[in-house]
Amino acid sequence: MSAEGFDELIHQSTRLSIVALLAAADWMDFAFIRDELGLSESALSKQLSTLEGAGYVTIERPVSNHRRRVRVKLTPQGQKAFQAHVRALRAIVAAAGDATAVSAAAK
Amino acid sequence: MDHTITREEAAAALLTVDRRRSRVAEEIGLPAWYWWGLALGWIAVGVASDLGPAWAAGAATLIFGAVHASVVPRVASGRHRTQQLSVRAELTRRRAALLVVLAVAALGLLTVAAGFALYADGARDPSIIASIFVAAVILLGGPRLLASPWLRERSG
Repeated sequence: MSAEGFDELIHQSTRLSIVALLAAADWMDFAFIRDELGLSESALSKQLSTLEGAGYVTIERPVSNHRRRVRVKLTPQGQKAFQAHVRALRAIVAAAGDATAVSAAAK
Repeated sequence: MDHTITREEAAAALLTVDRRRSRVAEEIGLPAWYWWGLALGWIAVGVASDLGPAWAAGAATLIFGAVHASVVPRVASGRHRTQQLSVRAELTRRRAALLVVLAVAALGLLTVAAGFALYADGARDPSIIASIFVAAVILLGGPRLLASPWLRERSG
């Protein structure tokens, strides 16, 4: 059984939560993600750097009302990878009714 | 590199995805300044009707209507309740804007009905009292208006 689209990088639990949040928004403040997931700034920065390095997110620093904000966006590539990952998870759930585990080729 | 994932792990991951999506959908709504502006504008029209010259009520209603019509298209999608995120359009339903317009029309009718009832009851400033009552309805009920699951797309 294959799990095409399964993405090892996204599947890590914290990154999955970050990408799932971002997939539902056009953009999101760094602070919103940090508060939602209860992460420290450094922990979130580290995860975002990993995702940014893979080309899955972009980080912008617009200035509004004289305040520097940090906005995070899922790139089209990240959106595509996330959707493929969700499809792979659904396929595993649907197909593994009589199997205990499947081997999914990592990205 | 191979990664072994069980059905339970995959199901748990999908649950996480659904929860995060639902959390973002909870952010659908109109900004607080819209509801405050609507409530204060409503009272201003009521004050102009009772205390101003005859033409003031018409002028205030026209100005209020024009300002509201210019603001609604920018906020009625419900995607920018706060400045912390912009909810994807796919998560909201097009009926949100229609619901806002219908709600404002219903509040207008409620104001007129309350004003006539107060006038019949001998109230001194029926329009002001009716508009304050409706402003309270706006502030208390408005933010809940777009919180209905009916206005959110189902996940998946």
